[in-house]
Amino acid sequence: MAPAAMAEPIVSGLSSSKLNPELKAMVMVEELNCVACHQSDAVFAGRSKKAPRLTGVGSRIHPNYLEEFIRNPHKIKPGTTMPDVLASKDQNEKSEIAKSITHFLLSLEKNDFAPQLPDVVAATEGERLFHMRGCIACHSPRDAEGVELMQDTSVPLGALHKKYSGKSLVKFLMNPHAVRPSGRMPDLKLPAKELEAISNYLLRDTQMPGHLNYTLYQGSIWEGIGTDGVKAIRAGHVDDFNLKTLGKIKRQYAVEYDGWLKIPKAGSYTFYLTLNGGTLAINGKQLLSLEPSQLRAPTELKTTLDLKQGWQKLKVSYYHTGDDKKFSLELEGPGRKRTPIASSMLSVSKQPIPEFVAPKVDAVLAKRGREYFANLGCASCHTDLKIQPIYSTPFAQLSAGKGCISDSVGKHPHYGLGTKQLELMNKFLPVAEKRKLNDREKINKTLTTFNCIACHDRDGLGGIDTKRNPYFTGTHPELGEQGRLPPNLSHVGAKITPEWMREVMLHGKTQRDYIHTKMPQYGAENVEHLIELFGKVDTLENVTFPKITNIQESKNAGYNMIGTKGFSCIACHDFNGKNPLGAGALDLVNVTDRVQKNWFHIFMRNPSRFHTTGIMPSFWPGGKSIRPDVLKGDSAQQIEALWKYLEDGPRAKKPEGLSRQSDQLRVFDKAEMVRGRGTEAGFRAIGVGYPERLNLAFDSEEMALRLLWKGTFANVSLGSFKVSGKEQITFPKGIPFHRLKSLDAHWPYKAKTNYLFPQDHGYQYRGYRLDKLRRPTFLYEYGDIMVEDFFEAVEEEKGKARFKRTLNFESSDDQEPFYFRILAGKGITAQSESDFTMGKLQVRITSGQKAIVRKGDAGDVLIPLKVSKGKLTLTLEYQW
Amino acid sequence: MVNSLTRLTLLSVALTSFLSAEELGKMWGTAEEEAKYYPIVNIPIPQNIPMRPGSFDMLPDGRLAVGTRKGDIYLVKGAFDSPPAPEYKLFATGQDEIFGLSWKDNAMTTTQFGEVTKISDSDGDGVADRYDTLSNNWGYAEGHEFAFGSKHDPDGNIWVALGLSGSYNSHNLFRGWAVKITPDGKMIPVCSGLRSPGGVGPNAEGAMFCIESQGPWNGCCSLKHLKPGGFLGHPASYNWYPFVPGMDTPKVTPDSPSRFQLEKNRIKELVPPAIRFPYIKMGRSISGFNLNQTGGKFGPFENQIFLGDYTLSLIMRATTEKINGVWQGACYPFREGLSTGIMNVEFTPKGQLMAGGFTTSRQWPVRGTEPYAIQRIDWNGKVPFEVKEINIKKTGFLFTFTKPIDKVVAANPDVYNITTYTHIFRGGYGSPEVDQTTRKVTKAEPSADGLSVMLQLDEIIEGHIHDFNLDSLKSKDGKPLLHTKAYYTVNEIPKK
Repeated sequence: MAPAAMAEPIVSGLSSSKLNPELKAMVMVEELNCVACHQSDAVFAGRSKKAPRLTGVGSRIHPNYLEEFIRNPHKIKPGTTMPDVLASKDQNEKSEIAKSITHFLLSLEKNDFAPQLPDVVAATEGERLFHMRGCIACHSPRDAEGVELMQDTSVPLGALHKKYSGKSLVKFLMNPHAVRPSGRMPDLKLPAKELEAISNYLLRDTQMPGHLNYTLYQGSIWEGIGTDGVKAIRAGHVDDFNLKTLGKIKRQYAVEYDGWLKIPKAGSYTFYLTLNGGTLAINGKQLLSLEPSQLRAPTELKTTLDLKQGWQKLKVSYYHTGDDKKFSLELEGPGRKRTPIASSMLSVSKQPIPEFVAPKVDAVLAKRGREYFANLGCASCHTDLKIQPIYSTPFAQLSAGKGCISDSVGKHPHYGLGTKQLELMNKFLPVAEKRKLNDREKINKTLTTFNCIACHDRDGLGGIDTKRNPYFTGTHPELGEQGRLPPNLSHVGAKITPEWMREVMLHGKTQRDYIHTKMPQYGAENVEHLIELFGKVDTLENVTFPKITNIQESKNAGYNMIGTKGFSCIACHDFNGKNPLGAGALDLVNVTDRVQKNWFHIFMRNPSRFHTTGIMPSFWPGGKSIRPDVLKGDSAQQIEALWKYLEDGPRAKKPEGLSRQSDQLRVFDKAEMVRGRGTEAGFRAIGVGYPERLNLAFDSEEMALRLLWKGTFANVSLGSFKVSGKEQITFPKGIPFHRLKSLDAHWPYKAKTNYLFPQDHGYQYRGYRLDKLRRPTFLYEYGDIMVEDFFEAVEEEKGKARFKRTLNFESSDDQEPFYFRILAGKGITAQSESDFTMGKLQVRITSGQKAIVRKGDAGDVLIPLKVSKGKLTLTLEYQW
Repeated sequence: MVNSLTRLTLLSVALTSFLSAEELGKMWGTAEEEAKYYPIVNIPIPQNIPMRPGSFDMLPDGRLAVGTRKGDIYLVKGAFDSPPAPEYKLFATGQDEIFGLSWKDNAMTTTQFGEVTKISDSDGDGVADRYDTLSNNWGYAEGHEFAFGSKHDPDGNIWVALGLSGSYNSHNLFRGWAVKITPDGKMIPVCSGLRSPGGVGPNAEGAMFCIESQGPWNGCCSLKHLKPGGFLGHPASYNWYPFVPGMDTPKVTPDSPSRFQLEKNRIKELVPPAIRFPYIKMGRSISGFNLNQTGGKFGPFENQIFLGDYTLSLIMRATTEKINGVWQGACYPFREGLSTGIMNVEFTPKGQLMAGGFTTSRQWPVRGTEPYAIQRIDWNGKVPFEVKEINIKKTGFLFTFTKPIDKVVAANPDVYNITTYTHIFRGGYGSPEVDQTTRKVTKAEPSADGLSVMLQLDEIIEGHIHDFNLDSLKSKDGKPLLHTKAYYTVNEIPKK
């Protein structure tokens, strides 16, 4: 197709369809609704695409957009199928007519159109959904700036932020067929929250007057905005820096403000910022900054600078943290005492943004508009207003090369057709009305008209565009192409039962929940005929089903084959809901409702016949079963047995191996160890179970004690384990030793993107050695200090076991002092300088050192240590 | 669950099996014939040992070492005897999934998911008591982040291939890279661009390779050369270049869809797979491999690479050669009908090939139905009639056979059926075979001794797999080839 700049009407399905030219011309004639003016029979008219309903348009569309669009549809929305009916008029006439028709349309009912401020946080989610749910199968994908990447072959959207309000777009998307009855824009049946997010994305360029933009964040905010642990939760406008206007603010929130500050008079200004963490930037230059700390009272920061008169870009971030949370920003300057910044000095934009004012309907203009609407032929297409249409030459008498299907300018509507489109329509004009289609052609034409082929191929008719292909994703990438792409429709009539097809096409049922793209709904009147046609056209060879003499034996064989001791179908497939073992492939439980038995037999024998790159293996290679022990190795009997078993649906006996049990690792007279993922101790966890029924988990990535528990040790599976005992104590993430810059600094731990942590803090894990009782001594380096870390469980009194821990530090040189964090969390109390409790856990230093306590929600107990040349020994006891 | 470290002495424990190994897997249809030369012998495993082998090594004292997915290392006496009389002893336990064992200096250097560990027995009681970590400095924080380790290279380094996060992304340090761990515990990143690698090891010339699985940017499974500074095809791991001193991020990312042949001209760091294994014809998920340097004890395939396949429970052969500075070569069917998913293979001092692995209800179905097994392929001294090796020449291919051929048949150019094809190089999963062509042999010249044939082709297609069907060839004594198929990946055509 020609570039969209030429504004020729785009019928998206035609750009990829391999339909023959005659049928393409028919689609074109129908999509442009030629029969609205050039009358023909009711069937032809029924197939043609109706124009949008205009009832309620005043509440749906911005009045300015409406007027501009009527005046020059091809400029406002290049690629639209709406014709320009004013092409032969001069500029003044055009303006007058467009204005009058707009007033007429606004006069039809009371309108409540009002733009809303988009939430940029929701818009980010909307961007993901727009590209993931299938919108981009017909509409163009967009880059980060919102530029359409495939305009030429996509259904145009135009500048939506000038057209819709958030409310009206969501309402439209909830039920597109209410406005566009011909179903070309399908209903994706998305939840309201997703539609709102998509609407916020599509309308994110909407500008509204306001004082200050804000974005609210939540999470591990001390790691900084932009890190993985911090999520933006909402955004919008506020009047000033008063936190109360943001609603309820919780701990671990952060706010980012940005806007413009109006300085009335040039001179020297001082900003006072009081908080426990945050930044201030003026005109892109960061002037104040304080790392957030939970362990500190608010600090006042100030900065003085010369500012010119006029607008200054202002950016402030604030971290809601610390013992006594406080936030204020004050300004002092020429003729101004130190006071908070008032709304009147703040704006989201340097340029004034006009307020939306609902237009007043002018009755005279509206009356004139109604006449234009009838006389210009608008009423022929937009029939819902019940205004008498005007008709032109009947379709049968049309001659090629004239009027709408020519380059001439005249009273007729102008579609801006491209050369090739004109050629096609002129050549096949008579055929469009008369041509009888066979069943196969009917299917292909419908699949093109509704652009089904944007997602589904069928015998090479179309299929996913290479450039759009990467946008199709799924929740289970390991399922390959089948896990992300809508299925191919070749043979579909011989595969899927008509009942199930009806469920999918007319009632929005889905089976492949792992595909992110949603199967849209086009309306029964538009696509229902496909169900019967598929059944008539698609045929495969007929399988003779084997005779089953003993139904119970057959079902049992089916049961055995599905399970892990048979073909292990459930290794990939779900069965009656989620299957924790499986790869998440299609649920088997309702297979017999969905697919035809004949197809099942053919498919099972050779899955790759239908999916060349599929990952389903064949269990009957060359027709021979790989399990000759089941039903005498008879392939047909085996496949039939699977069918018979599956026919019981959710009532079928649960396949063997569906629930997995992990093994209990028991501890006897020596310690036992296990490694791997699965606990709070991370992926490099080492679990140790001691005969005294005390257990611990050591994180060999951060070299820290992370879990303590009592009783049984662990459930172990391959590469992972789970705590199986009781009375678990969990220590927060973080390395054991650190040289804190100050006592209000945070204790470091490995956040998701600290890739080099903890090696960048001087750590290197070096393994462990075992004693005769197989108890480990962990070995690691902290800078030039070699650490040996040994735990032993002691039980001097029955039921009162505790851990004794001995750390030996060895260095060949004197080392800088550092802290050893022995406890961290909420509610620490100190019995003495060497005895601390937190909840049920008591930790005692038994080698004479003294520790300090930092109180608070993120409190900790730190032992200051100095390792000199030689050895230092520290002992601790843990009891709980 | 076994956790006692008592000595387990078991002789000839019968396996409860549905089938004998030979009846499994009819993919090539050659198992019965293969068994006449290379019989499969089961190594019995006591029922109470959770033996899911992931790697093997041979101890100087003649014992077999087996590393398991559960994180145990067993030392097995008598595994090479006929019939096998294995005695299992648990040497080490409590490790993460083990996919790499290499015995050196009285210690077992073990590659597990999180680290490379030197495991040794310092008090001589036969059970390990020192677990010295050489390095755990790569990122490991998501599922599917597999780590496969090599044997020690001549400098004592262990090469580790690190699978992507969830097999698709690279969220943690060096996922998708191969790294080298030095004897003193330094980690040296070698090359980027891996996806879901398997076994790591050298060819006869000492160049290091690893196995790669079909998936995004990999049309099929392949053997990839771990070229220092190279980029091996999957761009998800580009993000770690800033963490490698002396290596710059390639300036270009691959286009999708494309072809290796096009992209290697755009991206100078790109190293095309040395050998591609056409999907299903030659495996579905190739795993570990080992070089045959048994000095002829395993038959006529000295210095060739033997590879296991997980899904299809079979063993293949491969040969490599360096053309215009790039490694490439051919793969050949060898032995099918093993009884479980093969994870690794290893030659024994007696010149047998150990093969072992497991099936799992958590991942892909496997042709061999045993939950786990250790098997041995013995050579009975009879030489099968096979294509021994294919070498590329400027205008054709030189075929070497294990036995003299019927020179009259072999001199007829029309008996050779040669097709070529390649794969789409793309971000989508896998690829069909595309760009098919049919090639004509213009001249076939058998050597005087009948042990080789030089085939002149009308054209060699660069970037294509050349798929040879030799089912009309006969040996001098009138027998057909045991395997009639062979596949040569042409990355480069010799200039001379």
